[in-house]
Amino acid sequence: MALILTGLQKTNMLIFTLRRFSLFFFTLLLLTMLSFSLSFLFPGEQLINLTGQISASPEQLAVLADEYQQQSGLLSQYVSYLKHLFQGDMGYSMTSHLPISSEVLNRLPATVELACVALLVAMFVGIPVGFCAAIYHRKAPDNLILTIAMIGYSIPVFWLGILAILVFSIQLGWFPSSGQISLLFEIQHVTGLQLIDILLSDSPYKWQAFQDATRHLILPVIVVALAPATIFMRLARSAMLEVLDTHYIKAAKAKGLTFSQIIYRHAMRNAIIKVIRDIGLQFANLITIAMVTEVIFSWPGIGSWLIESIYQRDYTAIQGGLIVLSSFIFIVHIIIDLVYAALNPLAREPRHGT
Amino acid sequence: MNLIDIRNLSIKLQTSTKPIFAVDRVNLTMKEGEVRGLVGESGSGKSLLAQAIVGVLDEKWEVDADRFHWRGNDLMRLSAEERKAIISKDVAMIFQEPMACLDPTTTIGEQLEEAVDVEQLSGYFWQKRQQRKLAAITLLHKVGIKQHEVCVKSFPHQLTDALCQRVMIAMALARRPMLLIADEPTASMESTNQGQIFRLLASLNQLKNMSILLISHDLENVTHWTNTITVMYSGQFVEAGTTEQIFNQPYHPYTRALVDSSPKANRMIPNKSRLMTLPGSIPTLQHLPIGCRLGPRCPRAQQKCVHAPKIKNFHSHQVSCHFPLKDNYS
Repeated sequence: MALILTGLQKTNMLIFTLRRFSLFFFTLLLLTMLSFSLSFLFPGEQLINLTGQISASPEQLAVLADEYQQQSGLLSQYVSYLKHLFQGDMGYSMTSHLPISSEVLNRLPATVELACVALLVAMFVGIPVGFCAAIYHRKAPDNLILTIAMIGYSIPVFWLGILAILVFSIQLGWFPSSGQISLLFEIQHVTGLQLIDILLSDSPYKWQAFQDATRHLILPVIVVALAPATIFMRLARSAMLEVLDTHYIKAAKAKGLTFSQIIYRHAMRNAIIKVIRDIGLQFANLITIAMVTEVIFSWPGIGSWLIESIYQRDYTAIQGGLIVLSSFIFIVHIIIDLVYAALNPLAREPRHGT
Repeated sequence: MNLIDIRNLSIKLQTSTKPIFAVDRVNLTMKEGEVRGLVGESGSGKSLLAQAIVGVLDEKWEVDADRFHWRGNDLMRLSAEERKAIISKDVAMIFQEPMACLDPTTTIGEQLEEAVDVEQLSGYFWQKRQQRKLAAITLLHKVGIKQHEVCVKSFPHQLTDALCQRVMIAMALARRPMLLIADEPTASMESTNQGQIFRLLASLNQLKNMSILLISHDLENVTHWTNTITVMYSGQFVEAGTTEQIFNQPYHPYTRALVDSSPKANRMIPNKSRLMTLPGSIPTLQHLPIGCRLGPRCPRAQQKCVHAPKIKNFHSHQVSCHFPLKDNYS
């Protein structure tokens, strides 16, 4: 009997994880190459683009040139650039003259918070609604959901954001229109994630602060989540339709299971697995939407900072922000891949041979 | 009393122009404890017929019958839910490609446990979980899987096709069905595994008096295991009778051709000579001939064949042909 032992499954999972990490490593390597080559491609002197020190004296520049091994070949220049990167030194912002790393550390958590909450909202709304549409395939609910998904996907984010501010914060006054939290509250910076920091702090107005931060979060999250949610709806719908058409669902019907048993025990799990694989891909899209939304809602995240840097021709900041944002997307991608492998026994198997 | 008695069952597909009868007025009767073979080429509607009996056809197919009796109950008079309740209690089905019929993300054990009939469990609810597990393991033993510990923990893709089919049979046995419909249970299996599965089905038939409807495209193979055989062609009823009648004295030209095309039935033919086959191939659903659908390919076809023949009965050997080969055997 060709039964595979359970011990082998664990090593399979380990190999799978290692494989993902090697992919992560090489993608990052390519990304640093791109970022390094950007310093040549941007107008101006390469060393200044790389370090961001526009007002340095010739002596200082000579020291910098030595540090970045400007006299040696391209390869050693690149290696020294990597060394600086791993030490957390991404140069200085050309406009604010602050280290890029501290700017990024200050602003990244806000983006992480916004993007993750929006992703969760999009998933928890989009996927069940998509399943509903598939279950009522070719009936009124299906058509309604598809229409909503199409409309939601077609609305441009900047227009939706401005409209949301116009209606919900200016006319109705339900939610604040900008910022992450009201200036009244003083929250200590621990993890950077606002909601967690509030919960960790020992301020007597903790709950008021939490409520206020949540109220600030709602509008931007809805704006960011709308387009991904509609994509998830369609993905979930087609995944569910595909699963409902398979032999094992037919066999389960012949087994005498009721429709709800089939949906909850067999169809949902298989359909969710299919959707999760695509969530990683959609995350990059979500970050793009989040960048635009951050500008509209003056959200103090890395997206609005990066767009600002692009306007101000802050080349060093563009390079740093590019690396940080894309590694964030990659990390989320890998986490989702691992979740996918944990849920799907087929993905853990070795790709070649049996 | 007949276990199942179906008269003139049609399955049609509504299209924009006119309905297509994928299965056209087929009869099927089975007695208790009988093993009946349902034989036909691929595309002859035998799987559709089986799925119509179990009630797992898609909504696009319309099923209609003059008579559909299950152990004397007229199922046509019952509502869909009542029909489903009766059928799912007494009829089980196993499919071809067993691996595709098992949920790939759920372990074999879980899938077996959910097939276990609740009514067979006794005791309080906290005991039921354990009982379910035991019942699942007993089922595995019944189909000859001894390493139940490894098996219940595995996922379907970790087992071979033959093992998956055994698991499917185990699930089918969970409700102690009166009738097991086996839709090409050994397609794409090696011949040693095929033998194992057929022997298992035969022993179930003998030990538990379970009737089996064995669907296959391979007439020659099926004759080893069946008492009676029904032959279908392109959705139409061709011939039914005992295995000996069908294999030794087929009355219908199509059955004759099937038998002639198998090398084992023609030991007498000289070496390197061609086997008899009918010209052409089975018509597609869009281009079905009128009347007897074998017409264009039939060596004995005459003008009369544009009208569908009535079923003639010769000592419980039924044949649907205007010109049966009855007089050839004497």
